[in-house]
Amino acid sequence: MRRSVFIAGLATLTLGTLGFGTGQKSYVASAQEKMSTMEVKIDNFSFGPATLTVPVGATVTWTNRDDIPHTVVSTDDSKTFKSKVLDTDEKFSFTFSKVGTYPYFCSIHPKMTGKVIVQ
Amino acid sequence: MHPFDIKTVVLAKHAQHVVLIHFPIALFIIGVLFDFLAQWKKQRLLAAAAYYNLLVAAIATIPVVVTGILAWQWELEGQKLKGILLMHLVMGCLSSVLICVVWLIHMRTRSKQAEFLPGYRLPIEAVAVVIVALTGHLGGFLSGVNGPG
Ligand SMILES: [Cu+2]
Repeated sequence: MRRSVFIAGLATLTLGTLGFGTGQKSYVASAQEKMSTMEVKIDNFSFGPATLTVPVGATVTWTNRDDIPHTVVSTDDSKTFKSKVLDTDEKFSFTFSKVGTYPYFCSIHPKMTGKVIVQ
Repeated sequence: MHPFDIKTVVLAKHAQHVVLIHFPIALFIIGVLFDFLAQWKKQRLLAAAAYYNLLVAAIATIPVVVTGILAWQWELEGQKLKGILLMHLVMGCLSSVLICVVWLIHMRTRSKQAEFLPGYRLPIEAVAVVIVALTGHLGGFLSGVNGPG
């Protein structure tokens, strides 16, 4: 009886560990997938994607792939973030710690606009 | 956004600098053209046309320089410029100086009531037109006139 309880316990523990392991694995994979999309490319006078949805705590990186300098400046009331002038291949990163919608634009080319939605 | 807020009027999504710049460029190039024509045809009327175009061109550079520098100071918080932006700033200042120098040469000749304009003004005018055109090209490149929408 004791022995069967021990085996059952061991089996539960093993399965549990396995289950936990696979769960963690899939979580890491999805996080990596999300990480790869947390980049905004600036090219041909536009932000791509123009609207990016990210979880709280995510860091978004903007990379200027254009031949022209651009900036990334938020237009919400508290002016949450503001980059310096980004030349070709220069990057700017910002970590979003609060839920909300963050519209932004390029202060050199005001027609260039984008949005980060933090959920 | 307030329509009479000075920052909104000068910059924001209006970008007055890129609008105003067309006035001194056009006036200066036309002024130089009239001056060359006046020199060639020996006509006072053409020389007068050249003078007034150059005068208004020199005046029109003032708001352009002011809005350009304000855009740099406010929108980019006066950060150290490099690359195309720096080149545009340097060439823009040089263009403004040259436009004013050309007008001054004409103005001094008129105020002295001299019969002939000095010959050395013509190469200065030619160089100034090239510098103005190059600055405008850089500005157009920066503002994305060749880009989408
Ligand atoms: Cu831009």
